[in-house]
Amino acid sequence: MSLSINDYLNQFEAHQKAISFISELLGFDASGLITFLVFATAAFVVVNVMALIGGLGTYAERKISADIQLRQGPNRVGPYGLLQFLADGVKMIMKEDIFPAQADRTLFNLAPLLALIGVFATLAVLPFSSGLTLTNLNIGVFYLIGVSSLVGVAVFLGGYSANSKWSMLGGMRGASQIISYEVPVTITILSIVLMSGGLSFGSFVESQGGFPHQWFIFHNPFTFIGFFVFFIGMLAETNRAPFDLPEAESELVSGYHTEYTGMRFGLFALAEYIEVFVLCGVAAAAFLGGYKVPFDLGNGVVFVEKLGLPAIIGKNIGQVLQLGSFLTKTLFLYYVVIWVRWTFPRIRVDQVMTICWKYLTPIALFNLVGITLWVFAFDGQSIWEVLSHMGGGAHGGGH
Amino acid sequence: MTSYTLDVYMPVIILMALAVGLVVVSVFVAQILRPFKPNALKEQAYECGEDPVGTAWSNFNVRFYVVSLIFIVFDVEGALMFPVAAIFRKFVAIGEGAVLVGSLLVFISVLVFGIIYCWSKGDLDWVRSFQLSEDQVNQLKGSEEKA
Amino acid sequence: MFENTLFFLSAALCIIGAAGVVFSKNLMHACVLLLASLFGVAGLYAVIGADFLAASQLVIYAGGVVILMLFAVMLTGGSSENSNKFGIEKIPGMGSTKTYVFAGFSVLVISFTILKLMANFMKSYTKGELPAFSSTVEKIGTLLVTDHVLAFEISSILLLGALVGAAVIARPRKG
Repeated sequence: MSLSINDYLNQFEAHQKAISFISELLGFDASGLITFLVFATAAFVVVNVMALIGGLGTYAERKISADIQLRQGPNRVGPYGLLQFLADGVKMIMKEDIFPAQADRTLFNLAPLLALIGVFATLAVLPFSSGLTLTNLNIGVFYLIGVSSLVGVAVFLGGYSANSKWSMLGGMRGASQIISYEVPVTITILSIVLMSGGLSFGSFVESQGGFPHQWFIFHNPFTFIGFFVFFIGMLAETNRAPFDLPEAESELVSGYHTEYTGMRFGLFALAEYIEVFVLCGVAAAAFLGGYKVPFDLGNGVVFVEKLGLPAIIGKNIGQVLQLGSFLTKTLFLYYVVIWVRWTFPRIRVDQVMTICWKYLTPIALFNLVGITLWVFAFDGQSIWEVLSHMGGGAHGGGH
Repeated sequence: MTSYTLDVYMPVIILMALAVGLVVVSVFVAQILRPFKPNALKEQAYECGEDPVGTAWSNFNVRFYVVSLIFIVFDVEGALMFPVAAIFRKFVAIGEGAVLVGSLLVFISVLVFGIIYCWSKGDLDWVRSFQLSEDQVNQLKGSEEKA
Repeated sequence: MFENTLFFLSAALCIIGAAGVVFSKNLMHACVLLLASLFGVAGLYAVIGADFLAASQLVIYAGGVVILMLFAVMLTGGSSENSNKFGIEKIPGMGSTKTYVFAGFSVLVISFTILKLMANFMKSYTKGELPAFSSTVEKIGTLLVTDHVLAFEISSILLLGALVGAAVIARPRKG
């Protein structure tokens, strides 16, 4: 696992040669400039892909909900209605921007910006593949928890600044819900840190394997429960149904973005869909083996040795496989999130708090204790290894 | 423990700048394209067709505040436990795991005790019972009768 | 190069945010500016290689304390009015021309004295290479369970006190 995408590129000779060539051309040491350009390009690409995924997320949401409710869904713009999100984007840009007269204008403008900053900053540590991780910070997951809490502030400010009663109620509910569910989510992540021995997403993924029985979700019974605690907490943190109380349309009109029109509303929606993707990615990296590919195909050694390809091509084929593995898992979770939204009824506000403080938090604490004892007792082995050892012992030590 | 330079934070700054850029550009483009004809009715806060009465900025229930206080307690707990959790595997590997299990369990159990206390006193309920006890009801009745 | 950028960005965010908190008359704006300032402090921690401290700053202050403050402001009903029911300004202005002039002069004198004192040190200072940082998480963790294990355990008692205190002050008072 390289430290960042720049380190990944640095291991190739071609990249080194390019740096020295550009340095000679410009007459100064260009490695800093190249680093910046690599990061900027990668960040730009990632942001654009994420915006695309966010846009397609709205399309998928409508199409899947239509499937579930036996409707057609969008099918006019582009093939199968695929370009619907572009049409929506154009519509949002063309809409009149209305400022409520009593609103706090500064905060009204600032709220979508804060939401977007918080969500975009989380993309920096998302491990798409072992090479294509913008930066594998040592404090990865802790940093992610920190910056994603900006979204809570943004939701609150969005509700507050409009000076409308619906918005205010939605904002208060949203912020309190987001911070409440951060408690079980943080404790669950803590138990993953306990097992992987590091806070970076690199160490999360590297301590798992490519096959399902090597994933943390099937590592032991406690992590299996922990995954569902994390998933429920994740739904609540992104204000998805059945926890979409902050924007409950049957009681609060549209919650904290009632007064937002046009592009500002669009930015809030974009931030929400990208955040769902990011948290699905975190779930995939922490529990479902992240970018790991079975048979160690991901590091590309096999292609070099068996097919006789040059090292650079073999490695990059491995990267593509890893990216595919990560995206498959993440998009599957994304599908489940949408599926859940259109299956369960919305729950009441007091039930939201009861689920968080009386069910998820105690369960998460119990899991933490259980995983601590498991790692201590079985030296970090998974349940399958423990069972096979026991079985092996019973049959007279068949190693 | 690999060493790193500050370059690892570069994507963070770039991504934040991209977020700011996206907002500025999209709002600016929208500003050029969209119509702008405000009137008093449009600028009213939406209240399902009724004229809004007063401001929305009113005193809110104290329970939101309590939730965030309890949240901060757990946040600090997490911040203290993350570094200990990160070295757990290494200590288990060198056979000193018992020390960490002990200190972690003591740490967690103190907090679990706190949760049990709050739970049993009803502080985790969202809808609080404000019912008076029988004695208090009788007291109030007595004072009413006197009046 | 990037070290300087990160440092100056963080420092600017920190100072501008802090100054804004003081000068802003709107409580909500002050809270948001405080958030900016706290982010700046986190950036400064990152610059000196204290990565875990930076993340803790983000998680605890930016995530927890600022939201707590926003909720606390909402307890008093936001900042719809700047004067209370007795007609007294909630946030009285602290500055007049006299105080600003006086403060300006004192800043000049104090900073001149400090710079004069630091001049010798600054002249002999040459910027060295930044050391390669390594993660502080594991060092902190090791210290927390070896040398400072008592502090670690006692902090849980402190947190217990905070938890119980938070619950008790919000309890409906009977009678």
